[in-house]
Amino acid sequence: MVFSQCAGPGTHPAAGTPSKDSVAAADSAMPPLSSAGVLPLTYEQQQGKILFMKYCSVCHGEQGKGDGFNAYNLDPKPRDFTDPRAMAGIEDATLLTTIMEGGKGVNKSPLMPAWGGRMNKLEGEYVIEYVKALEHQH
Amino acid sequence: MGKLSKYFAAVSVVLLVVLAVSPMKDFFREWKGYQYAYNKLIANLPQRVKPAGIGIKQIWVQKLDRVDRCETCHLGLKEDALVNAKEPFRSHPRIHHDIEEFGCTMCHGGQGVATEYKESVGNVKFWDQPMLPGAFIEASCGKCHKEQNVPEAPVLNEGRKLVQESNCVACHKIEGYQKQWVPPLDGIGSKVNRTWLVNWLKNPKQYYSGTKMPNFLLSDEDVDNLADFLLTFTAPPNNSELVPLPSSMKISSEAQKAKVIEKGSTLFGEARCISCHLINGKGGYVATELGKVASKVNADWLYNYIKEPKVFMPEVQMPRYRFTENDLASVVAYMQSEFVDYDFQQLPPHTPDPAYYEKGLAIFKKYNCAGCHQLQAVTGSSELGPDLTFVGGKKTYEIDFGNTSVDQTLPSYLKTKILDPRTFASTAKMPKFGFSDEQATAAAVALLSNSSENIPEEYIVRPKPAPHFVPQGEFGKLVKDLACQSCHVMNGTGRLVATDLSMEASQAQPQWIKAYFKIPYSLRPTLTERMPNFFLSESEINVLGDYMAKVFVVDTLDRAIPADGALVSEGRGLYYERYGCQSCHMIGGKGGYVGPPLDKVGSRLEPGWIFHWLKDPEAYKPQSIEPDNKLTDREAEALTVFLTTLR
Repeated sequence: MVFSQCAGPGTHPAAGTPSKDSVAAADSAMPPLSSAGVLPLTYEQQQGKILFMKYCSVCHGEQGKGDGFNAYNLDPKPRDFTDPRAMAGIEDATLLTTIMEGGKGVNKSPLMPAWGGRMNKLEGEYVIEYVKALEHQH
Repeated sequence: MGKLSKYFAAVSVVLLVVLAVSPMKDFFREWKGYQYAYNKLIANLPQRVKPAGIGIKQIWVQKLDRVDRCETCHLGLKEDALVNAKEPFRSHPRIHHDIEEFGCTMCHGGQGVATEYKESVGNVKFWDQPMLPGAFIEASCGKCHKEQNVPEAPVLNEGRKLVQESNCVACHKIEGYQKQWVPPLDGIGSKVNRTWLVNWLKNPKQYYSGTKMPNFLLSDEDVDNLADFLLTFTAPPNNSELVPLPSSMKISSEAQKAKVIEKGSTLFGEARCISCHLINGKGGYVATELGKVASKVNADWLYNYIKEPKVFMPEVQMPRYRFTENDLASVVAYMQSEFVDYDFQQLPPHTPDPAYYEKGLAIFKKYNCAGCHQLQAVTGSSELGPDLTFVGGKKTYEIDFGNTSVDQTLPSYLKTKILDPRTFASTAKMPKFGFSDEQATAAAVALLSNSSENIPEEYIVRPKPAPHFVPQGEFGKLVKDLACQSCHVMNGTGRLVATDLSMEASQAQPQWIKAYFKIPYSLRPTLTERMPNFFLSESEINVLGDYMAKVFVVDTLDRAIPADGALVSEGRGLYYERYGCQSCHMIGGKGGYVGPPLDKVGSRLEPGWIFHWLKDPEAYKPQSIEPDNKLTDREAEALTVFLTTLR
């Protein structure tokens, strides 16, 4: 009766630790954090991908290799996000400024447009998540 | 001490033990374990994270009448530092909506008041709204967002588009969806040959992979009877008659024939049929595949149809080209020689079943063909399938899962049903649409968003009422005849394949517009669909151009631009050096090729439009990727003055 509601010590976690089963079950239900195209994208990478395809892929290419169909016309060429040397040492804050204020905002070529008028900060961060996912896929 | 006292003592002890059960239960709560584990986790982090107080945490959303206790265990929801932590401590992805304002179960479903793992996750017994699996989460967006393009919900938008285009409302009543136009079947007996019809009814996608017609999985006998039944309808609609081909078509010499076909090929290219029709997999998506049309329809019908499309297929969105009779005959000759199905195998002659008409009619009624296809002989379509307006609120116990082993939840039922409609019951009549896994998920998401929950009106985002602008008069007749609104939007009505014409005369200069009808050159490099040449007469072009110049204007786009020479060089500097417009636009052959070349923009566009477009592209064409450089008025004027010098 009353004691059956409090099912014995075997199934109740001791105060202090969650039961191993429940944590393990929760963990295996989540997909691991991923890089683009290899494993499923997280929510933020997914949103970033949509924005990337619309605004960026024309010059930077659909895989971010700097080989979009407009890249032929540009000098300097658009950055290749899959090239570790091109992306070495660039912080997220720099990426965000580049996206929002264009190339001239980081003292680079004005050929990179400023997207701050078309995207807000959160959308810019989504794009950065996707760019970082592209970086990890060679 | 008496026996009574002993009993009293025993009962008191029992009472004390019983009373201790309640505080003991509370001491050993599952969620307390998670909270202690969380505090242990954040103590080891380099960042500073506020430890959680031990106790139940809840979000009470009064307006939505929900209490969500998820945060009791999911403590790291708002902590950036925990982006990579293991569940249940991982932070929530950044989304538009505030968790405090909406709670958790509004989007995720599930039993919000639960504080134990077993009571929250998965198929909780007797809880009507179980937690939505991640793949279907956008269905919750659709509960409030009823507009056409819900931001940040691509799966939902795709699903709603699929439900609309697949014409589900032909059999299922769903509020908010309209029936699509489908070719009527009157006169089909004088249009197609029997072999084609039999192959089509067996498997529509084999002829045209992009068809919206599903596969009804009919038996061979049923297909034969249905085909024979349909082919009895030889009279074209509207009491019309098929005009015979002109005598110029009856040529004997091979050389002359080749000449005619070559002429037809040139005209076919100018007419840009490929802008709407697929031709061997390439082209527009608005109309059907033409790559094998010569093996489907006979030449007489094809000639008559192109001559007067709306007579032979009422309400079709095909424009009427102003071909001369001989020109049209050469186009038809070209199509008959080119668009042949080389794998076509004529079926052996077939004697119809003596009762083919009744049997065919029975099949026609059984599968509700009239729900999509109009056929004058068969009146009244019934909606065969269940009403799906509130299907998102269907309870799990109301669903019959048959002999299948799918997950017994509503999302998986809907997805499986859409993918393979006859798995749950072999007697089901729903046809197979041939969707991919992603498409079926998207369609299920769209249907799941039709919930039966009582959501307060202030939360719901409704689509703006679609204005229904049908132009009148001479202009209106031409617009209907040329089906302009199947590619252009005018004052809110039409399809946006090409540009929105509602302010066209404030954007483009009137003389350019008229010249464009004569030679519709391609303005933007990356498009498949291009404006066809309808071979209009001078007076027709004047009717169109004059109406547009008088009506499709927006006064606020007028702006007097100063004629200041100094601004030209300022504008040039802004163009090349500050904003780098040459990355997407060409001038003098140099630059990028994303937007239209600007060599002659001064004689094409109105200066007022250039000014306003540069100031706020999103307001006029949100689908374009023109940057908004937050220009000052002076910068926009300088750029406008510079651009108008390019003629």
